[in-house]
Amino acid sequence: MIGNDIIDLQQSRLESNWQRKGFIEKLFTTDEQLLIKNDEQPEIMVWLLWSMKEAAYKIYNRETKIRAFIPQKLVCNLKQQNDLFVSGKVTCDKNIYHTKTIVAKNFIHTIAVINENELDNVIEIERKAVIKDSNGIPFLSSLLNWQQPVSISHHGQFEKIVCLFS
Amino acid sequence: MNKDELITKLKTIIKPYTTNTDAYDNLTEETDFINDLNINSANLVDIILDIEEVFDIVIDNHEMELMLDVKSAVEIIESKLASK
Repeated sequence: MIGNDIIDLQQSRLESNWQRKGFIEKLFTTDEQLLIKNDEQPEIMVWLLWSMKEAAYKIYNRETKIRAFIPQKLVCNLKQQNDLFVSGKVTCDKNIYHTKTIVAKNFIHTIAVINENELDNVIEIERKAVIKDSNGIPFLSSLLNWQQPVSISHHGQFEKIVCLFS
Repeated sequence: MNKDELITKLKTIIKPYTTNTDAYDNLTEETDFINDLNINSANLVDIILDIEEVFDIVIDNHEMELMLDVKSAVEIIESKLASK
């Protein structure tokens, strides 16, 4: 299973004021709040952690069928940060999701999976590769296995559609 | 405050975050913030903070979990106002 989340940073600046009183406290655990406070770019850390939670929640929601606004129950831990990506994990109850996040100038994109090695098996698909059957159900055209779960994330000017190949 | 007044106040709060005007204009208790009103999940926290300010109440994490539709929001606000 796979989940992804894209954040258009220009859009988030229009839509959200992360410095608003109570915003950080409602969304993030105390450990996460410290990460934000101590980061050179707190804005980026806010949206990095948020995209991890969102990507992980997409799997959680799909598998448990539980729908809830539970940002603080999706607990983020960062493992590795380098110039190319940030890897981490998100824990929700007993579920663990492994994440990989690309932080670019204009967007932040996180992919979450259940087995860490699946992070190497992610492919990005373009919208034009997704076609719909007569019932409006989207699946992948071309050679890809359409039964693979697909995760679609759209925000502002960006859209990412990802799936796992096995 | 009766329920109609409460929903009117709530509608004013959620207006700036919604991008589906049809669903907003036809809002009922069954209206879902994300699925119907297209509200960005990051803005759910703004709605919750606005509710806290406008109604002068505190919404805890457990109540926040349920804040996905008009009906739940109204129920939570009503119970908070009743226990004031």
